[in-house]
Amino acid sequence: MILAINILMLCLVLSPVILVVWMSLTPTASFKLPLDDFSLRWYREAFSYPAFVDAFILSVELAAMVAVVTVTVAFLAAYGLVRLRPRGSDAIQAFFTSPLLVPAVVFGIAMLQFVNHLGLYNNLAGLVLAHVVIVVPFALRALVATLQAVPEELEWASMILGRSRPQTMLCVTARLSTRGLVSAFLLCFLMSFSEVTTTLFMSGPNLQTLPVRIYNYMSDRIDPTVAAVSSMVIVVSLALVLVLNLVGGFRRLQGH
Amino acid sequence: MTSSGDTVGASRLQPALGSLTSSPAVTMALLFAPLTLVLLVAFVWPLGQVLLNSFHPNTPQGIDSTRWTLDNYARLIDAHYGTILARTVRISLAVTAISAVLAYPVALFISRRSPRVQSWLILAYVTPWLVNTVVKALGWTILLRNNGVFNSILMGLDVIAAPIRLLLTETGVVIAMIPGHFIFVLLPLWTAISSLDPALGWASGTLGASPAATFRRVVLPLTLPALVVGLTINFIMNMTAFAIPMLLGGVRNEVASMLAYQIDLVSLDWPLGGALAVVLLVFTIALIWAGQRIARLLVPSPGARE
Repeated sequence: MILAINILMLCLVLSPVILVVWMSLTPTASFKLPLDDFSLRWYREAFSYPAFVDAFILSVELAAMVAVVTVTVAFLAAYGLVRLRPRGSDAIQAFFTSPLLVPAVVFGIAMLQFVNHLGLYNNLAGLVLAHVVIVVPFALRALVATLQAVPEELEWASMILGRSRPQTMLCVTARLSTRGLVSAFLLCFLMSFSEVTTTLFMSGPNLQTLPVRIYNYMSDRIDPTVAAVSSMVIVVSLALVLVLNLVGGFRRLQGH
Repeated sequence: MTSSGDTVGASRLQPALGSLTSSPAVTMALLFAPLTLVLLVAFVWPLGQVLLNSFHPNTPQGIDSTRWTLDNYARLIDAHYGTILARTVRISLAVTAISAVLAYPVALFISRRSPRVQSWLILAYVTPWLVNTVVKALGWTILLRNNGVFNSILMGLDVIAAPIRLLLTETGVVIAMIPGHFIFVLLPLWTAISSLDPALGWASGTLGASPAATFRRVVLPLTLPALVVGLTINFIMNMTAFAIPMLLGGVRNEVASMLAYQIDLVSLDWPLGGALAVVLLVFTIALIWAGQRIARLLVPSPGARE
């Protein structure tokens, strides 16, 4: 009984992802099971559709920018929280992770009104800022856990030997936290790359990320071309998850 | 020569850097400034603006920021919106209730595997969560449509004679949302169960308790707080989900987030949309607070009750 529930649950969790890849490999336009033949024609189709290619490039650029900015600001803040132990550091950390409390829809509404107010509608900067806010709590938690594992004595040694604190941070602390920094980067990239709700609310017609483009396409029709595009999203996400798992990012995500 | 040159250089630099290193307050300010700035500009300000807008009347010329009103909140009290809210709560409760029932069988099953298998199973649950929701919605469409996988399997097994309509129904939305947000229940519960001292189970067994009694009297009370926290987050995610209800439920099964989209991006009535956002946010924070309070009350105190 318990085994059956587990198998059923795993099937429910994994099947939508597997089926999308499966559909993208079907040779005919109508998707039929079982699949006895496969073809890559829908991938050719997808690549010949500039809207998807542009959106893919935009999504990767956006995710990379978001990850760089987020990891930088989160590393500085995490260093301050862990090493300087300011009074009220719990309250400070609560403020830094407060975006977690705000549902994506609410934040989307807020950002829509905000970017229009500032004339940033259809502007990449607005989107980068929004994504940074969404992913920064996760990066901060991961980096706080990372820094707590870096021995402070090594930083003291570096500073006693004449390096200033900024130099020490860069040459000692950051180097010792490489794994944590890499997993925070990957996690931010992945979350930005997958973000859809807030982006859908605030991004204008000229600024459609891949998930938004897929969403708009799907509202219209469903065919193996969109499955091919989605499969590429899945492959990118899976690859990042595997690397993240290799560098031990998940354990940090859970704060162990 | 070079080394003494370095020392001179370093000592010359020292006063400049000294201000960075010697005063903790300044160092702290410099470290916290970038993130604080980002959050103030792109988080506090937008939310504050929405709050302010929700108290201004909407006019054909735009938002009239010279006048103040509660009218937008009054407009939310409406029979049509009430139906939408009732549907949102109905769907969310169904998903959370089913997740609550499934949580223990799955979490206990995982926690009893070897560490290697455990990490693979958790990875199997986490990975789909990190894949884009829209992509998963496409998968669910393939599964749930009339000639889809679900109906094919059920008809192949002769469970049903004709396909059941699942796409564009509330049932379909619930089915797709359960695995989508299950991770929020599973992760805290699995963490709580794994951190239980195995000696508790042995002790209970040695003292003659059946496995069922051990679960009911030992495991359940100790892990219930984690389950409550997980269920709260799960419920909030269900209440505010957008892509899954939109793509699988369609406009005829409108939920709160779709109403927000309608008001903000189609009717462009931002004060009303702002009021809805404020209500959703207050509701979310109140629920998280309540969930944590309940979880804290559920923590068994040592030596309490039989």
